[in-house]
Amino acid sequence: MSEDRGEKRPRPRGKRPRRKVCDFCVSKIEYIDYKDVNRLRRSINERGKILPRRMTGNCAKHQRQLSEAIKRARAIALLPYTVD
Amino acid sequence: MNKYEVVYIIDPAVEDEARKTLIARFNELITGNGGSVDKVEEWGRKRLAYAIDYKTEGYYVLVNFQAEADLPKELERNLQISDSVIRYQVIKQIERKVGIKPRVVRPAPVAPAAPAAPAVEETPAAEAPVETPAAE
Repeated sequence: MSEDRGEKRPRPRGKRPRRKVCDFCVSKIEYIDYKDVNRLRRSINERGKILPRRMTGNCAKHQRQLSEAIKRARAIALLPYTVD
Repeated sequence: MNKYEVVYIIDPAVEDEARKTLIARFNELITGNGGSVDKVEEWGRKRLAYAIDYKTEGYYVLVNFQAEADLPKELERNLQISDSVIRYQVIKQIERKVGIKPRVVRPAPVAPAAPAAPAVEETPAAEAPVETPAAE
């Protein structure tokens, strides 16, 4: 695992994946509000789980804020903990 | 004084009158202890994302207030005691980072060049009249 880190793995067919940009940086959001349910909903999957950075392309700073906001929203039943 | 924000969910079965007095009671608790209520926002009946005590709806109330650091604990204790409140959350609002000096934008290289150029021109011009009388 550690040996092949840093090595460029050849991508079989197709273009290289486009580098994702943090949505929150683009829209210049300083503070992610836990009450803004519509925005938070975009960052959870259909099971109610928080999407990982590798899928959303969020920067570390905003991902931290986002996860905090989602957890707060869950605590007051604005968002579900699980959906089954 | 810190800024806080509390959201609490009141049992939808509570009548309007009783609910009003309940909200007023919490607001008085804040003001009575040296705090000040900035904003009370009633979101009204909303569907809960998951059932709490088999209830699927709740009456949401949001209050922004300023108070000393020991007040939230007292407020939480009161919210906990009240049977009509089914969920609450007190959050300290983060202070916006103000007073940080904006990054100094270096002037473009054109700016230092402009004063330098006349200075070079001036020095020989200033010296020249001084030297000429001395030579004569």
